[in-house]
Amino acid sequence: MSVIVFVEHDAGIIKKKNFEAVQYASGIAQKIGTTVTTVILGTIADDELKKLGEYGAQKVLHVEDSRLDELHPRAYTSALIAAVEKEGAKIFIALNDINGRAVAPRVSVKLKAGLVAGALSYPDTDKGFVIKKAVYSGKAFAYVNITSDVKVIMLMPNTFPLAKTEGKAVIEKLAVNFGDKDFGIKIKEVSKVTGEIALADAPLVVSGGRGMKGPENWYLIENLAKELGAATACSRPVSDAGWRPHHEHVGQTGGTIRPDLYIAVGISGAIQHLAGVNGSKTIVVINRDPEAPFFKAANYGVVGDAMEVLPRLSEAVKKFKQHK
Amino acid sequence: MPPCVLCGKNIRNVHNVFTQYAELLKKESQMKILVCISQVPDTSTKVVLKDNNTTVESAGVTYIINPYDEWYGLIRAIELKESGIAGEIDLVTVGKATTEPVIRKALALGGDKAVRIDAESTDPYLTAAYIAGYAKSMNYDLILCGKESIDYNNGTVGSMIAGLLDIEYIGFATGIHIEGTTAIVKREIEGGEETDSCSLPLVISCQKGVAEARIPNMRGIMAARTRPLEVVSPAVIEPVTTILSYELPPAKAGVKLVDPADMDQLVDLLHSEAKVI
Amino acid sequence: MNDVENVKAIKGGEFLIRETNAESVFIPEEWNEEQLMIAETCTNFLAQHVTPNLNRIDAQEEGLMSHLMDEAGALGLLGISVPEEYGGFGKDFKTSMLVTEKLGAGNSFSVAFSAHSGIGTLPILYYGNDAQKQKYIPKLASGEWKGAYCLTEPGSGSDANSGKARAKLTEDGKYYLITGQKMWITNAGFADVFTVFAKIDNDENLSAFIVEKDFEGLSLNTEEHKMGIKGSSTRQVFFNDCKVPVENLLSERQNGFKIAVNILNIGRMKLGGGTVGASKEVITMAVKYANEREQFGRAISKYGAIRHKLAQQAMLTYAAESAVYRASQNMEEATEMMIEAGLNETQAKLKGTEQFAIEAAIIKVHASEVLDYVVDEGVQIYGGMGYSAEAPMERAYRDSRINRIFEGTNEINRMLTVDMMLKRAMKGELDLMGPAQKVAGELMSIPDFSAGGEEGLFTKEKKYIANFKKAILMVAGAAVQKLMTQLAKEQEVLMNLADMLIELYVSESLQLRVEKLVGLRGEDSCKEQLDMMRVYINDAAEKIARSGKEALNSFAEGDEKRMMMMGLKRYTKTNDVNTTQARRNIAAKLITENKYCF
Repeated sequence: MSVIVFVEHDAGIIKKKNFEAVQYASGIAQKIGTTVTTVILGTIADDELKKLGEYGAQKVLHVEDSRLDELHPRAYTSALIAAVEKEGAKIFIALNDINGRAVAPRVSVKLKAGLVAGALSYPDTDKGFVIKKAVYSGKAFAYVNITSDVKVIMLMPNTFPLAKTEGKAVIEKLAVNFGDKDFGIKIKEVSKVTGEIALADAPLVVSGGRGMKGPENWYLIENLAKELGAATACSRPVSDAGWRPHHEHVGQTGGTIRPDLYIAVGISGAIQHLAGVNGSKTIVVINRDPEAPFFKAANYGVVGDAMEVLPRLSEAVKKFKQHK
Repeated sequence: MPPCVLCGKNIRNVHNVFTQYAELLKKESQMKILVCISQVPDTSTKVVLKDNNTTVESAGVTYIINPYDEWYGLIRAIELKESGIAGEIDLVTVGKATTEPVIRKALALGGDKAVRIDAESTDPYLTAAYIAGYAKSMNYDLILCGKESIDYNNGTVGSMIAGLLDIEYIGFATGIHIEGTTAIVKREIEGGEETDSCSLPLVISCQKGVAEARIPNMRGIMAARTRPLEVVSPAVIEPVTTILSYELPPAKAGVKLVDPADMDQLVDLLHSEAKVI
Repeated sequence: MNDVENVKAIKGGEFLIRETNAESVFIPEEWNEEQLMIAETCTNFLAQHVTPNLNRIDAQEEGLMSHLMDEAGALGLLGISVPEEYGGFGKDFKTSMLVTEKLGAGNSFSVAFSAHSGIGTLPILYYGNDAQKQKYIPKLASGEWKGAYCLTEPGSGSDANSGKARAKLTEDGKYYLITGQKMWITNAGFADVFTVFAKIDNDENLSAFIVEKDFEGLSLNTEEHKMGIKGSSTRQVFFNDCKVPVENLLSERQNGFKIAVNILNIGRMKLGGGTVGASKEVITMAVKYANEREQFGRAISKYGAIRHKLAQQAMLTYAAESAVYRASQNMEEATEMMIEAGLNETQAKLKGTEQFAIEAAIIKVHASEVLDYVVDEGVQIYGGMGYSAEAPMERAYRDSRINRIFEGTNEINRMLTVDMMLKRAMKGELDLMGPAQKVAGELMSIPDFSAGGEEGLFTKEKKYIANFKKAILMVAGAAVQKLMTQLAKEQEVLMNLADMLIELYVSESLQLRVEKLVGLRGEDSCKEQLDMMRVYINDAAEKIARSGKEALNSFAEGDEKRMMMMGLKRYTKTNDVNTTQARRNIAAKLITENKYCF
């Protein structure tokens, strides 16, 4: 009756947020007195799988079918249901990311399980099975009680800090019979944004708005991002004006990110923008206008001209990194 | 002359009969799309809690169509109809009677008819089950929804509907094209974009890039009240989640201003105080 | 004057001598779902197409304004009340007023829109024959063709009938050749169709013609450099033996002036709506700014001096809006009644508008002066930024000023207000004599000090308004009696009387609105509206007293004057109201909502 965790990988490498999911599952499992079984699909080496033990997995079920190297929601669901049934699991955990959101809900309806998407807390078992999540685009939190027998939780990445343990996991291969219907989606083309740090799970982000005046000034943002090892983002007017690519747009109708550090340069801080970034741990606002609403939502603020402040900040970061 | 037996319209001449029949056949061969519409509070709404934090105040709140549903799902469906690929667009909403003004706004943009399933929509499983229950016998080729609703931020209903109807699902779409009975869908993946092809029927959740927002025009606004808005009772299903209470985020401590000439201090604060670098 | 007549349609000007039932007025809080959707389309249109481009619009970027009109046309906004048979949507007057109001927040675009759909389209719609309507209206309604209106000349503004433009029939009787110079023509730079006013041969009165931009002999001067609405195309239009087919004579020969006056009546009402829309937007900008700008450690919206301004802006706007929609509804009802009586739609609309020409003039004056106040204090609230072209308030300030000048200057409109009232009285259409005599009688007798019946929520205000009417009847009656035909020359007295009438009409409109609103929502939900009503009426009483006093001092003498001064005091006496606290309440609501919210 272990807790099942759906763990993903990117071409055989397990990214940090997946360990967070395992650790989260481990916390729950320990509380209710059971074990953690992770399920991982596709082509990945055992050496990489061993890492899962370090974050609390007792068992790894590996469905080795190479067709699963790409996202196929139906096939993934079949595989995960097979694992759940094998383990007799009552709790299923996935990440609240693109793949998780395609698969976990489908798994939940097959299991007739209640689902919380975007968990920010461990379940509170005093009042039932209550989990905290953000609602109204981060303007409030809700405490959701899962009342069904089986429970599905989608964890918000970057919520709990990681801590390695001395644990070890047993690796098992799981064979699943798939039908043709399971691979109905054909992938025609994949284009990855190369050479840049992906925005979605980046812990550090530098973002620019209309206050940057024009795309020709973006090198200042990019320099700072390079020094920090950060991803770059932008506000909606910037994306609409075509100064930056669409995938950089964060806000109500763009992407939602929850980095450790969000540096906003020349962005006034409209509600719609805040909706995309209010989950950030620390917000730094750099703006010429002391009345900019964003300062009210910031932890640190610099009232000054971006053209002057950015190079200074880049220098300061560079100096800091050198002396570390 | 008596009305046409095929379509019921008045026959004005023989040519008219054939034209109407041809249109009817064309319609049968065109795609049928279902667009899921949900009502959400306007983006600038301040969240006020009441009843001991168990409910969110709805008085004085302006309600809108969930932007992802409207700007992307609905408009794309309308575009497909305008280009002749889709023959019929149905809208479905899970909500009480207070959602009808918002449904009519959606009809003002486009859509042949709307169905309101008379229930609250706080449990995504129930929402998906109601919609799937309605869609089951309707043979939709394409079901579109927004990537998430801006009030609950779950983004799970689309995938659930697909699971309940046992059809394919593509999420986070940034572009949708239809070629015959195949959908070519661009979608967001981590660190990039992927183009998929999949046979219909299909559920797609939409985000920026799928279409551009439109302003309802006078013609649409006036047509909205003539388009049917059907109300159906929900099937009886046990909820699997309940929201027990809400909480407002803690008030933010005031911003710490740093001298723009002293960026070393900022870096130091970020390192030693905030501990983010 | 005690019975509240439940008769649906009150006649134009009758507000002075009759009470109106609050149930019978239309209030903006009653818009239906469809009307709200239309309003939202207008607001979204401005937000998407106009507001982000105000600098480009003001720079008169080539083709931009015409393109914006195309976009508005595609949304159906240019044909709101054009009949469906001509490609419009056949909507009622109130709905088209709502559209004008919402688009009124569009700076230069609003002017282009109003000129096109009002004076640019209506002369043809109301006075054209079938062929003319079929040819021009569908294209104007869709925006395919843009419209303009050529009445004013360098030498004839307020004195419109003195225009020198002439039209001469050609030998073969096929064309009129128009020669003349028109000035301050809005949309001239991109219009396709002009309604042009000129006198045929030695006629006394103007005739109207439909002139297409490509007719031989029409040319344009360069754009005028204006204080404001810089994005609106304003040019002189030259006619040099401009060849206009005889079929393009609009209506009958010498009917031009009548056409101009009737279309102006509608234009004046619409200006009221448009300026109210602009005021609301300016107030929202001012509140937002006041909530963000901090001085001495606090947002300036916390300071009494600022709150006073915000409250005043909101109250004046709410009052103006009350008058606009009350009159709009009256006009609509009068039109409907005439259609029922057998008139065709066009005739009914024209007669309905004519009926309420007095109210239209009042609204035009009041609403345009409200907007000027709102933008002036808007600049003040913005402080230094209010003076800077980097912030939007400066443009609002410059764009507003024209409203007191065009569509008939506010001075002309004031005099028309009184003039029309008195003319109707003389023709027997409006019984001012009877009520005026009643007041005179009342002055002689002892005032009624009885407590009266039960005191309702609006008893006091209704009494004050009834008294305002008496004050006006008293002063006007005395002026007519004393000055007789000379009254027309005593413009100062006319202005005084007009100011009294304006304050009365707006006060009453506001009171009726709040009364109806309380009936719908309950007293507790209307606290700020009740405050606005009390403050406005309190201030109106003083204004009416001052105007009345000035008038009386200029023509009355001796005992008669003494008695009337006492009467004036009696009829403008109000209870003390803590207007400072009331304004604070009004401001508090604005500040919490962070926008104009009434």
